[in-house]
Amino acid sequence: MEPMNELNPSGLSRRDWLTRGGLGFGGLALAQMFRGEVASAAGVLPRLHHPAKAKRVIFLFQSGAPSQMDLFDYKPLLREKHGTQLPDEIRGDQRLTGMSGNQSSLPLVGSPFKFSRHGDSGMWLSELLPHTAGIADELCMVHSMHTEAINHGPGVTFMQTGSMFPGRPSTGAWLDYGLGSESEDLPSFVVMVTKDKGGQPLVSRLWGNGFLPSRHQGVRFRSGKDPVLHLGNPAGVSIESRRASLDALRQLHESPSGPSRSDAVADPWIESRIAQYELAFRMQSSIPEATDFADEPQEVLDLYGPDVTNPGTFAANCLQARRLAQRGVRFIQLYHPGWDHHGGLPKGLPRQCKETDQPSAALVKDLKRCGLLDDTLVIWGGEFGRTNYCQGKLKPNDFGRDHHPRCFSMWMAGGGVKPGLTHGATDEYGYNIVESPLHIHDFHATILHLLGIDHERLTFKYQGRRFRLTDVHGHVVDAILS
Amino acid sequence: MKNSFAFLSALLVVPIFTPARADQGSRLRFNRDIRPILSENCFHCHGPDEENREAGLRLDVRDAAHEYAVVPGDVEASELIARIESEDPDSVMPPPGSERALTPAEIDSLRRWIEQGGAYQSHWSLVAPTRPPAPEKSAGTIIDAFVDEAIDRAGLTPSPPADRAVLLRRATFDLTGLPPTKEDVERFADDRSPDALEKALDRLLADPRYGERMASDWLDVARYSDTYGYQVDRDRFVWPWRDWVIDAFNRNLPYDRFLTHQLAGDLLPDDSSATAARDRVLATTFNRLHPQKVEGGSVPEEFRIEYVADRVQTVATGVMGLTYECCRCHNHKYDPITQREYFQLAAFFDNIDEAGLYSFFTDSVPTPTLSLPTDDQERRLSELENQIAAAERTETAACETTVDPIFSVDFDDDVAAPNRSVPGVSGQAIRLTGDDPYKTDVGNFRRSDPFSISLWIKLSDDTPTDRAVVLHRSRAWTDAASRGYEMLIDEGRLRWSLIHFWPGNAISLRTADRLPIGRWVHVVVTNDGSSRAAGLSIHVDGRRSDTTVLRDELTKQITGGGGDTIALGQRFRDRGFKNGAIDQLAVYEGVLTDEAAANLHRNPSGRRAEVESIATTLRTLRLDRDRLLDDVDEIMVMRELDKPRQTFVLARGAYDQPTQRVDPGTPACLPAMDDSLPRNRLGLARWLTASDAADRHPLTARVAVNRLWQICFGVGLVRTPEDFGSQGAPPTHPELLDHLAVEFIEHGWDVKRMLKRIMSTDVYRRSSNPATAEVVRSDPTNELLARFPAGRLTAEMLRDQALMISGRLVNLIGGAPVKPYEVEFSFKPAKSDVGDKLYRRSVYTYWKRTGPAPEMLTLDAAKRDVCRPQRERTSSPLQALVLLNGPQYVEAARGMAEETLARNIDAATSDDARILADVYQTLTSRRVDDDRLKILLKLLNRQRKLFRDAPESAREHLTIGKSPPREHQDSVEVAAWTVVIGTLMNFDPCVMKR
Repeated sequence: MEPMNELNPSGLSRRDWLTRGGLGFGGLALAQMFRGEVASAAGVLPRLHHPAKAKRVIFLFQSGAPSQMDLFDYKPLLREKHGTQLPDEIRGDQRLTGMSGNQSSLPLVGSPFKFSRHGDSGMWLSELLPHTAGIADELCMVHSMHTEAINHGPGVTFMQTGSMFPGRPSTGAWLDYGLGSESEDLPSFVVMVTKDKGGQPLVSRLWGNGFLPSRHQGVRFRSGKDPVLHLGNPAGVSIESRRASLDALRQLHESPSGPSRSDAVADPWIESRIAQYELAFRMQSSIPEATDFADEPQEVLDLYGPDVTNPGTFAANCLQARRLAQRGVRFIQLYHPGWDHHGGLPKGLPRQCKETDQPSAALVKDLKRCGLLDDTLVIWGGEFGRTNYCQGKLKPNDFGRDHHPRCFSMWMAGGGVKPGLTHGATDEYGYNIVESPLHIHDFHATILHLLGIDHERLTFKYQGRRFRLTDVHGHVVDAILS
Repeated sequence: MKNSFAFLSALLVVPIFTPARADQGSRLRFNRDIRPILSENCFHCHGPDEENREAGLRLDVRDAAHEYAVVPGDVEASELIARIESEDPDSVMPPPGSERALTPAEIDSLRRWIEQGGAYQSHWSLVAPTRPPAPEKSAGTIIDAFVDEAIDRAGLTPSPPADRAVLLRRATFDLTGLPPTKEDVERFADDRSPDALEKALDRLLADPRYGERMASDWLDVARYSDTYGYQVDRDRFVWPWRDWVIDAFNRNLPYDRFLTHQLAGDLLPDDSSATAARDRVLATTFNRLHPQKVEGGSVPEEFRIEYVADRVQTVATGVMGLTYECCRCHNHKYDPITQREYFQLAAFFDNIDEAGLYSFFTDSVPTPTLSLPTDDQERRLSELENQIAAAERTETAACETTVDPIFSVDFDDDVAAPNRSVPGVSGQAIRLTGDDPYKTDVGNFRRSDPFSISLWIKLSDDTPTDRAVVLHRSRAWTDAASRGYEMLIDEGRLRWSLIHFWPGNAISLRTADRLPIGRWVHVVVTNDGSSRAAGLSIHVDGRRSDTTVLRDELTKQITGGGGDTIALGQRFRDRGFKNGAIDQLAVYEGVLTDEAAANLHRNPSGRRAEVESIATTLRTLRLDRDRLLDDVDEIMVMRELDKPRQTFVLARGAYDQPTQRVDPGTPACLPAMDDSLPRNRLGLARWLTASDAADRHPLTARVAVNRLWQICFGVGLVRTPEDFGSQGAPPTHPELLDHLAVEFIEHGWDVKRMLKRIMSTDVYRRSSNPATAEVVRSDPTNELLARFPAGRLTAEMLRDQALMISGRLVNLIGGAPVKPYEVEFSFKPAKSDVGDKLYRRSVYTYWKRTGPAPEMLTLDAAKRDVCRPQRERTSSPLQALVLLNGPQYVEAARGMAEETLARNIDAATSDDARILADVYQTLTSRRVDDDRLKILLKLLNRQRKLFRDAPESAREHLTIGKSPPREHQDSVEVAAWTVVIGTLMNFDPCVMKR
C-alpha cells in the first residue's frame, strides 16, 4: 500500500490518482489532505522490520475466561486438597474481585475432568478436548499468561488493545495500520462473533480503531444475509439496475460541463467518490463469494463438525476464517462467549468445549492441509484465568470458579511458534506462576514480532504522544519461537 | 547501525509545502519555526517532564537551553547543533532507534535561529490573545484582510465567489444542518440587494433548527450518549440535557455562560426563577456524561477515579484544547503541566457524592441527581409537602401503644448448617459463617413506614470490624447500590441506614462508640418514617447512642430490587458477619420508645413493647408523596459535597496509590486564578471565561472560535482542535485567530454574531474550485483558503437531508431519543420505532455506546466515548453501501418519487426532462446542464424498462421502509424514479458541501 502522504492531487491524472492513491477497503483518510498532518501518515511501514514468520493471524478468542485447570493446566494436588482452604501463603496479596473477595471461606476445587498426555510431546490435556488432543503436537501451550485485569470489560479490552481502559486501537487495527491490506476487495481485519451466545457482553470498540484513522477498524461479518452492512442491493434492485445507476453516477461525476469540477486539477473528492462506488460494487460480489461454502468438499465440512452448515456458529466461523485467510485477510478475530463459569462449571464447561473443540482443531488441520499453517498464527484463549477455589458454595456436584488474573493458559499454533512445546509453569495449586511469566504486553510484542514488526517501532502520534500497542512495555518471548 | 539509520530517514516525510512559513533569510520566529522541531524531536527527553529529563538538559525554556546547548549567535559552540549533526551513533541526537530524526531543512532552521540569537517565545497558546493590528486592505472584512494577506504573500489567486445557489446551500447546511428548499434558493438568487447574504444568515440563525445543528457538534465534545457505556451499557436518562443544549444555542446563550452553567450551574447564586435555576443545574449533567460501570465484582473506587479523570479530560480537551490526560501518570512531556497540576484540576471535579458503579439490580439514577417533575407533579408535590409540614407540626403527639413484634425468633431450635447453634443471651443463639444468611420472611418496609428491630449481637475475635453486614433488607451491596436498609459494623461501630442509592440518596447514622468484642450487646434500631436522619435511632444496651449523621438525603423508595425480607449475617458480594452471633431478633411496626428499648435490654426474652405510632393522616400523606416522587424523573447532575473530599496525587494515576494531598488549583503556566474566586467549579468556570484583558484565559476563546471556524470551513485555523499545546498544529493564521478570540470576548461571547461575521466574508463566499492549478499545487491542504474547502456532509446532514427531500422529516424539537432503522443493524441491535419517530432529525437518534448507530458511524460520526472536538473525514465503500442500500435512504428516495409523481399526475413522457430538472434542483440546489440531463433521462428510461420487464421487482422495491406505498400510483414508474433519485442522492453536489 502506498503511503498516503505521497499523494499530491495536483499533477496527477485521475488514473494516476486512483492507482497510486490506494483506496483500500476501509477507504481513504481524506483527513490527511486537510489537516496538514502529513507526517503522521508515515506509520504505514514501507517494509517489515525483519522477515515475518507469520503473514496472518486467526485469533479464536474465548470470551469469559475458560478454566485453565479444567482444560490445560493439570493440577492433581487440587483433587487431593479438594474442599480445603486455599492457604494464605499461596494466596499472597492478590486482589480478589468483589464477587468472592468478601467470602469468609475459599475452598479449593479439584478438576472433575480426567487429564492424560497426548502426542509425541506428551502434552497434558483434559478429556473435554478430544479433538484438540489430536493436534497436540501442533500446539505451543503457554501456562504462564498473566494480566492485571480482574473483570471482563477491562480484561478483554486489555487482551485486544493493550490497555484496560477504552480508547486504544485493537491489535488488528494496529496491523492494518502498519501493514495495510493484502486484498483489494476484502477488509484486512475481519471480526466474527458466535451467534446466539449469552455470557459476558462484547462491545464493538474491542475491534475499534481507537485513535487510529477509522479505516483501520475491524469489519464485523454478520452471519445473516449481508455479512457487511447493507451489502446486498435493496429488494427489487437487480444487478443490471445497479450497474446502470453506477454507470450514470460515474458519468454525472465525469461530465466536463459541471460547475463542481475543474479540468486543471483532479478533485480528490470526486475521484475518491468514483473509486468508492466501484469498490463497493466489486465487494457486492467478492464478499458473497468469500462467504459461500458451496464449493467446500464434504470432507472439509465434516472436519469442522455438524455445526459448520449453520451460519454464525463457531464451527462456521472457523471455516469462514480459513476462507478469509486464503483470500488475503490479515487479522481474523473470532469471539466465542460463554466461558464465565462462576457457577455450574461441571455442566457448563463441557457444553462450551463441545462447541469449540472440534472446530478449533479442524481449523488447524485444515490450514495445514491447505499449506497455510506455516504462515498463519492461530491463537486460542481468553482474557484471564479462573481461581483454584470455589466461588460461592462448594457442592457435591456443582461449583464455580472466580476470575484469576495471576495465571492462565493459551495455546498458539502455526506461523512461527514452536509446535509441541509447553511453556511456563504454575505452582502445584495452579495459583501462581513459578516459571517464565508471559504478560499480555509480551504476548502482543511476540505477535508483532512474528509478523515482522518491532513492537517498539510501530507507533502512532496522537495528542502529541507516540503510542504503541505495547505502551511502554513488552518483550518478545524468544523461547516460544520456532 | 548506518543502515538502520538510513532506514529511519526513509521513514521521515518531508512536508511538500508549508505555506505561510518564513522564506530563506527572513527572521525566524520561535513559536512558528523552531518550537515544532524541538517539540517533536527533543522535548520527550529534554522538556518539561523533570523525572524523565536526560542529562539534566532542558530545551523548552530559554535560560536552561542557553547554558550550553543553544549559544546565541554561535552555532559552532552550540551543543544542540553538534549533537544533531554528529555522525557518532553514541552521541547523535535524537538517538538512533528513537524513531525521530531531523530533516536537513529543519537543521538549517535551527542553525539560522541560533545565528539570529536563539530567541525564545512562550508557547503561543499560553499567552492571552490581544487584538492584532489589521493588515491594510481596501476590500472585504477584517477577516478577509488577514486571510488575503497570506494568499498575496504566497502569490496565489483566490477563487471567485461561489455560485449563489451553492453559497446558500453551504450556509444553510452550516447553520441548520439541512439543505435549502428550492424556493429559498430562488429567492436568494433573485435578491440582488447588497445585504442579501446578511438577511439570509439572519433568517438561518433565527431558525430553531440552528440549535439542533449546533447541538450535534457539542454532543461530540460532551461525549453524549443515551447509555452508560463500558460493558453492560444500559439505557440512561440524560436527553433533557441534550434539549437544554439545543435551547441554549437557539436563545444564543453567550458562550461564557454556556460553559459556566455546564461546569457549575449548581453553584451559581440563587438569584433567578426556580425554572431558570433548575435549568442551570440540569446543564451540569455535562459532567456526568462519561461512561459508567456496572460489571459485578469491579472495584468501585477504580471507576470513580476514571469518572473524575474523564471530566478533567473533557474540560481540558473541549474547553482548553490541552492534552491534560498525558499528565495523569507523569509530568507532561511537551507542555508545561505537572502531574500535581493535573490532580489539582481533578480536585475541582472530585467533590460529588457519587458511586463508582451504578446499580445492576435496580434502576436508581446514580447520585447526585436533579428531580425533573412535570408541572403537574410539581404542583401536587408542593401541595403534599405543605400538608406534610402542617401535619408534622400539629400531630407530633402521636399515640403510644403496646404491641407484639410482627416477627421474632429466639434461635433456641437448631439452625441450619453451616451456621451453628451456640449458647445465647437466653437459651441458644445463631453463630453465622458470614457466607450463609439466616433469612426471615418479613421486613419489606417503605421509607415512610415506622419500624424497629431489636436483637442481641456478639462479635468474636475474628469478626471483621472494618465492615460486616449484621442484617439487611436488600438485594446486594454495590450491585444494587445498597437499596433497602441495613445494619452494618463499620469501622468498629454500628451503622444504621435507609438507602435508595448509596451514597447520595440515603439517610444513615453511625454510633460514636465502638462495639465491644466478645460479649453480648443489645441493639435496637428504629425508623420513624420521616425520611430524615433525625428520624433514625440506634440504642445500644438499652440507651440511645450518640451518633454521627453520615447521610441525610432520602427522596425515593427503599423497596425493590429483590431481597425483600430481612436476612442476617450475609449479603451478596459483601462482607458477612463472620463468626458473629445473634439472638432474640424481633421486628416491630412502629418506633420503639426509649423506655421500650431499655426494657428489652433488661428482659432479653421479653417481646411485647411500647411503640410510638404515627398519625394515619401524616403517614398517608407521606406515602402519597412517596408514590408521586417515585414517578418523578431524575437526571444525574453535579452537587458539591458539604465537606470537600480530599484529592490526592495518584502515583502512575492508579486509584489505589494516593500520595500527596492536593487542593483545587490551576496550572502555573496559565494566568493565576484570582484570589476572590472560590476554589470550586464555579471559580474554575469564572477563571476560564474571565473577560477583562488583564486576566483573560489564553485558551478558552481561541478554542471556541476555532471550533466555530471549523463549523464553517470544515477545519479550524488550528487543525488540531483537541491540542493547542506544543505538539498540536500551530494556527495557520495566528493573528486572525487572536482577532476572532478578542472579538468574541469583547462582544460578550456572542456565538451567533461570531458565526455571522465569519460567514459574511469573501473567504466564506469563495468557490471551492481553485482559480488556478497552482493554488492546489502549492497549497494542497488548503491552509491559505484561496478556495473554499469542500467536504462531505456529516452523517447527520446526509440523513436529515434525505428525510427532508422525502417530505417525511418531522419538525419537532427535543424529546426522548428515537430508534430509526439503523439501530436494527447495530452490534447491539434494538427494535426500530414506528411512525414519526423514524423520521426525526439524527441528533435525536438513540446513541448506544457499545453499539452506536452503525450508519452514522460509517459516515464518520464520533463514537462519543471520550471528548472529540473533530470528526474524521474518510471516504470508504462502506459509505456507498449505506447511501445506496440503507433502507432509510431508499425509503426517502421513494418518498420523493411518490411526491414528484403525485405533483405531476398528468405528466407525459415528454415532461420527463422538466421533472428531472426539478428533482435535480431540489437535490443539489443547482440547475441541471444538458449533458447531465441526458445521462439522467437515459437512466430513467433504462430503469423503467428493467422494472417493466420485472413488475414484481418494482412492487418489491416499494416495500422498503415502514411507510406504505402511496396508493393509485404505477409501481413501475415509482420504482424507476426511486432509483434515479436514489442515484442522484449519491451525486457529489448532493453529498458534498461545496
